[in-house]
Amino acid sequence: MSAFLDGLLTALQPGNLAALLAGSLLGVFAGAMPGLSSTVGLALVLPVTFALDPTPALLMMVSIYMAAEYGGSITAIAIGVPGSSPALATTFDGHAMTRRGEAGRALGISLFSSMSGGLLGTVLLVLALGPLSRAAIAFGPAEYFGLGVFGLSIVANLVGRDPFKGIVSALLGLLFFVVGLDVLTGAPRLTFGTTALMDGLGLVPMLIGFFAIAEALEAVSGRRGSASPRGGIAGALPKARELFGLWRTILRGSAIGGLIGAIPGAGATIASIVAWNEERRVSKAPERFGTGVPAGIAAPEAANNSCVGAAMIPLLALGIPGSASAAVLLGGLTVQGVAPGPLLMTERSELVYALYAGFVVAVLLMLAVGRLGIPLWTRVVRLRPSILMPLVVAISLVGTFSLRGNAADAWAALFFGLVGVAMLRGGYPLAPAVLGLILGPMIETNYRRALSLSSGSHSIFLESPISLVLLLLAAVSFAAPAIRRRVMSGRARAPEVGSDAHDNEPRQEERE
Amino acid sequence: MSHGERPVALAAECLRRIALGIATAGLAVSVGVTGCSPSGEEAAFPSRSIEIVSWATPGGPTDLLARALAEAAPPQFGGQRVTVTTRQGGAGAAGMQYLRGREGDPHVLGVFTASGTVNMATGRIPFSPEDFTPILRIQIDPFLVAVRDDSPFHTLGDLFEAAHARPGEVSVSGFGAASAHFLGFARLRAAAGDPDVRWIAYEGSADAVVAALGGHTDAAHTNYNIVREHLRAGTMRVLGVALPIESLPDAPSYAEQGYNLTPLHWRGVVGPPGLDPELRAELRARLLAAIEDPGFREYMERAALEYATMADAEAFGAWMAEEVATSRDMLRRLGILDG
Repeated sequence: MSAFLDGLLTALQPGNLAALLAGSLLGVFAGAMPGLSSTVGLALVLPVTFALDPTPALLMMVSIYMAAEYGGSITAIAIGVPGSSPALATTFDGHAMTRRGEAGRALGISLFSSMSGGLLGTVLLVLALGPLSRAAIAFGPAEYFGLGVFGLSIVANLVGRDPFKGIVSALLGLLFFVVGLDVLTGAPRLTFGTTALMDGLGLVPMLIGFFAIAEALEAVSGRRGSASPRGGIAGALPKARELFGLWRTILRGSAIGGLIGAIPGAGATIASIVAWNEERRVSKAPERFGTGVPAGIAAPEAANNSCVGAAMIPLLALGIPGSASAAVLLGGLTVQGVAPGPLLMTERSELVYALYAGFVVAVLLMLAVGRLGIPLWTRVVRLRPSILMPLVVAISLVGTFSLRGNAADAWAALFFGLVGVAMLRGGYPLAPAVLGLILGPMIETNYRRALSLSSGSHSIFLESPISLVLLLLAAVSFAAPAIRRRVMSGRARAPEVGSDAHDNEPRQEERE
Repeated sequence: MSHGERPVALAAECLRRIALGIATAGLAVSVGVTGCSPSGEEAAFPSRSIEIVSWATPGGPTDLLARALAEAAPPQFGGQRVTVTTRQGGAGAAGMQYLRGREGDPHVLGVFTASGTVNMATGRIPFSPEDFTPILRIQIDPFLVAVRDDSPFHTLGDLFEAAHARPGEVSVSGFGAASAHFLGFARLRAAAGDPDVRWIAYEGSADAVVAALGGHTDAAHTNYNIVREHLRAGTMRVLGVALPIESLPDAPSYAEQGYNLTPLHWRGVVGPPGLDPELRAELRARLLAAIEDPGFREYMERAALEYATMADAEAFGAWMAEEVATSRDMLRRLGILDG
């Protein structure tokens, strides 16, 4: 404990505190700008860290990483465009709440959950560094395959009213991921002989195309979203009682974020979608998810911030970056002559404790920066969509370009914009396609890797307990909505006395 | 460390660099769109800021080289700014395309690596070394094969013997398919009589090490700096390293074990095509001075990399051409490339 206090004193020195604050501001900005992400924010300051001492350099970087995860939810809630991919699940309920006129409430819930998730993720990092780092390397090809399939089974809960259209959307996402160089053979697939398609169709261009460009085109053409929300936009923050009432949701979301975040390569986007889905599963009124329920915001936001601390587990304990952002952090550490790995804790414990304390301070600064920003964002929401959305599109395209300095990404975003419009008009949900693009590579490469290791025998997926459990969960998760529907329709015909009343609750507006 | 003006100076530095980054990105767009090249190139060099194009992942070893160079170079370029612009895409083709379009301009440089020559050999990238002006190879990063501490293998011979005895059951994880890492290992395997060792390709070198650490594969083919901490902690062991590494005196080299080859990763600086030979010599001299900068030396040491600058720019060019040729031969031999 005294080591942690020493770390806290270090983090609170004026120079270090300034670095943390600069990181928070830049992080919220990078997170909120569609196209930019925590990774871009970190890459932007990487040259700055050359000129700094190790401690302020690292504190600034962790502060960016943390704040960007909340920042992503701002745009997700305010305009329905995920500011960065981990905020995708936040759009489901967050933007729905804004459309109802409660932007301030949604942002408040997101900020509180992000803060709680960030703190819980840090606690996990401090207390479970050793065990969780061992769990992380237990994930081999078979286990990643199981995780990918489990993630994809969530599609069943995202399909909306028409399961057929949802599955078509997911398959479309899986088709898009195939484009690019095959990781296992290096052969180009569906690149049509161009180098522009060699790296595949990225997640960011898809998110920008679907949620910014397609929505903007629909808004401008007057088909959707052009009407102001009923009764205007209220900047009112949620009541403390409501926030603390979400503690179960936040704990579950943080736990999911902590576990998935510690597995290298799984990442905050998958964690937040799984958290949203899990919250829906345990809810007594799952059909209300997606219409603007508080738990639908709290769960993914707690999860993606809890991932930040968790992603540091494989990085600090094994020297293995668990996410793209952690990879940039590793670059920053290398420049500073800090080599993460099994010996870091014994050799540089003062730095590690300063890092832990830095996380705590970063979370609190994120809370302050985020709170001050809420009135601004609720004002942005009041802009007419025909003015706001073209602005969003312009900013998004610049963001998409700057991600890799590649104009092909901006073209890909425009392409996805047109695909998105076609899908929206045909009544096809967009989220399953995104899930397909995220999970397709994880499922395919690890399936083939596992079979390569087992000389073609599929038993490798059943011999690994982790993989087996994940595949069983996937089957349950995939079948659950259909079973629930059947049970419910059966009950509707012959209501049993004494059956759980909640399952039959009629759909009601979430309004207090 | 905590002087009063430090936070202010820090904030100012951040803002300056971020503004600079946005400005260079904007400039890159405008130049890319109009295709114009600034006139008056005959003026004394350098007449404006130097741009280093990086097509590697931010924070990765190649990107770090570009940034360390940008930190160290300004005094050698008359105090001109040296900026890094990231142009990713097409396995490096996007950045190379840009560099190639700046014919004769000594103000634009690119960081080139072994991955570039391999991608040229496979035909993934529609360029050849002649499309650029080689200037200076800076560093080498020898390949090595490492196992988890409890592995039954203690030498490369153990690994290959097991593969001869149980074909297809021994696996080695490494970065990429038909990549520099893959070819480095393929050459070693060929020298061992082509046992059926299974190459399990990963998206990154670190992911490949995780697979070996987790016991999912039998060994990892990687670079020293990626496993250094695991070697120091004793959680991993080296079976063989392509070239002896100073800080790793006990690790047996490939040659010591009877495999006479030294596959390695390398990184250097190339310019756009058509650089004036005098300008090229001048650039080489300035860059050679820049990499002697104490800050750059420190970076090399921290990243566990070795200087390997070669005699002159021509030798570097010949090396690149040879790398493409030997990679192509190996790819044909493995049936990955036709003809």
